[in-house]
Amino acid sequence: MAKVVPRPHLSLWENLYVVEIFKGLMTTWGHVQKNVTTGAFETRNYPEEAPSLPRDYRARHRLMKRPDGSPRCVACFMCSTACPARCINIVAEEADRADIEKRPATFEIDLLLCVFCGFCVEACPCDAIRMDTTIGVMVHDNRRDFIITKDKLLDWAPADYPATDTQSQKAPGGTLNAQALAEFNAGSRH
Amino acid sequence: MPDPITINVDGRDVQVQPGMQLIEALRGPAKTDTPAFCYHPDLTVAGNCRICLVETEGPRGWALGISCHMKTAPGLKVRTQVTSEKIVKLRKGVMEFLLVNHPLDCPICDKAGECTLQEHYMGQGRHESRLEDEVGKQYKGGADHRFTDSKGEARGGKKIDLGSTIVLDQERCIVCSRCVRFMDEVAQSPQLAIAARGDHAYITTFPGKPLEHDYDLNVTDICPVGALTGKHFRFQQRVWMLKSVESIDPSDSLGANLTIEYNVGQVNGKVWRLMPRRNPAVNKSWISNASRMLYQDLAKDRLTDGVVNGQDVPLAEALSAATAALTGAKRLAIVASGHLTTEDNAALLELATKFGTKAEVFGGSWLPVGQPDGIARSGDPVANRKALQVLGVPDNLDALVARAGEFDAILIAGNDLWAADAAKAEALTKIPVRVVLSSWINATTAKATIAVGVRAWAEVRGTMINCQGRVQVLNACPVVPNPDLEAVWQVVNQVGQLGWTTESQAWKAAAARAPQLQGITYRAIGPMGQMIAETAAPAAVGV
Ligand code: SF4
Ligand code: SF4
Ligand code: SF4
Repeated sequence: MAKVVPRPHLSLWENLYVVEIFKGLMTTWGHVQKNVTTGAFETRNYPEEAPSLPRDYRARHRLMKRPDGSPRCVACFMCSTACPARCINIVAEEADRADIEKRPATFEIDLLLCVFCGFCVEACPCDAIRMDTTIGVMVHDNRRDFIITKDKLLDWAPADYPATDTQSQKAPGGTLNAQALAEFNAGSRH
Repeated sequence: MPDPITINVDGRDVQVQPGMQLIEALRGPAKTDTPAFCYHPDLTVAGNCRICLVETEGPRGWALGISCHMKTAPGLKVRTQVTSEKIVKLRKGVMEFLLVNHPLDCPICDKAGECTLQEHYMGQGRHESRLEDEVGKQYKGGADHRFTDSKGEARGGKKIDLGSTIVLDQERCIVCSRCVRFMDEVAQSPQLAIAARGDHAYITTFPGKPLEHDYDLNVTDICPVGALTGKHFRFQQRVWMLKSVESIDPSDSLGANLTIEYNVGQVNGKVWRLMPRRNPAVNKSWISNASRMLYQDLAKDRLTDGVVNGQDVPLAEALSAATAALTGAKRLAIVASGHLTTEDNAALLELATKFGTKAEVFGGSWLPVGQPDGIARSGDPVANRKALQVLGVPDNLDALVARAGEFDAILIAGNDLWAADAAKAEALTKIPVRVVLSSWINATTAKATIAVGVRAWAEVRGTMINCQGRVQVLNACPVVPNPDLEAVWQVVNQVGQLGWTTESQAWKAAAARAPQLQGITYRAIGPMGQMIAETAAPAAVGV
């Protein structure tokens, strides 16, 4: 069932438009005054200067790693099924370990098609894909380079992620890797 | 057919056939969805999964029974999940037992999306789990679920190579015995068995023997879960990403009904598999492995352009060269083909009529005809042989060879004569202009002076008439190696300026030549095919 969203009712005064424009400009003028007198608003030379993004900002994707460095992804296609932009392309293959069946042979996200909705992250049953890299600016000189491949998605270091992010710290090089690797080799898949 | 009888389902009177399985009566005339794992309409009743149970009234009041094992009888009174809370509760219980030993594999299971266990869990499962992680076995291929059988072999494994075509996951099996019954009853080659008892029961082959049979991939279709999967489709695609069209087996004159499953798109656009389509009068629910693998040829060795005197040329150029050569010929032999649709053959006949006395039509095949296997193949590789007979195309390839010297041009459509019998076909090289319409690069296109690529069976809409005299429809799947390729009838239509725009015009032209086909329309044929007038009684399946 489609949800009917009622249109906001505008009074005659608001409908006149000109009045509202001036009300808007008053806000702008207020900000200018405040900035000139107190310097409260920071100005940044975007995009030369990268904005500092919070961890929960939906930024460029990364693929999470098992303690042995292989991708946590099991090539289940849940993310590509959920993706409204149909921009995740996966080719699955047989994995080389007896206790892990399936893995991605290739995993590509076309970032030019991606709408950064985060549905892929929600859909993943194994916490294998995340959008917490805080990479919000991507600059390439041709379209092909915006299709991000498995290697690039796996190219991140635990040192760049907070110590409280245990899943990241279990990856090779992380603070929790040694113990996690021992558990992994003993058969744990969590 | 005997007179229908009346049974009472949930207080409603329903007209059904006497003596039919109650589950069929419920699913069919009574329109009451009834779940089942072990019951299959084309196998004997095993009655081991218990999910189809209903209440019936007997001398001692209402009693539970499994509807797959009961027959309809006059006055039978049935209560299903619609009116009986008890049935709802019991089915939840059955589902709970089945799922106790089932791994949470759905994300990597190839059956997910078409899995009976998933469907019935959603339909009648108990959605709140009463299991605690630490109490149950450790799934996901966990060591605790494996055990050693009495002969010391490891069991309960996840990736057991059963034979050349199938992988078994013993952990996913719900021991419904469908696969065992298929091998026993349909393949008539008992190669699978259930060993051990209780929750240690597992499916296995005989010690050291692989599962090998021309029809063994059918067990992957009827397996209600992802325990048996075909190696050809393993990890290829998720089933919900596939679209499908209905077609038939073009490699055999029984024309086993199947669906072509494909997806479109730049990255994954491809035909991924062929699945059997149930037609009780033709192939029941089965297709042979050979027919199932035909999809692999659709992307292999295709003639996607034209070839003129050994040079690759664009299609349009090859087509105009062919048109010039055929119209300019003084004496033209046209070879019709039982591998092509009725529409294609009608176009070839129409072309001959248009060219008048200079053209002569030949037909037939040198391919050896085998024996019916009694399941889903008649053994005759010329799928549309019946249509040639109905259209009055002679079976006279040998006469063509004998009289090859008379002709200065030949048009061979969809018939690999050199592959069938190169020694006989060699005489045809006496004819200076050899125009070949073919979907594949093959021995015959190698001998052509002009070869024009055409669409293959999966890419055209048309009809074939099977050995029983049943007209069956092939539908076009949009995955084509080159979108400019056209069907044979379209190419012939351009050569002969026939003025046709749709395949139904070609079908009408065929009907004009054969009285048996008159009055039959695509819509009337439907997915199950339609018998042509002459042969009123269908021959037994595969005979
Ligand atoms: S963020 Fe949204 S659009 Fe982008 S890849 Fe994920 S699901 Fe697709
Ligand atoms: S949903 Fe997660 S595990 Fe599944 S394919 Fe996507 S990233 Fe891999
Ligand atoms: S392998 Fe599949 S078809 Fe065979 S018994 Fe198990 S669940 Fe049934």
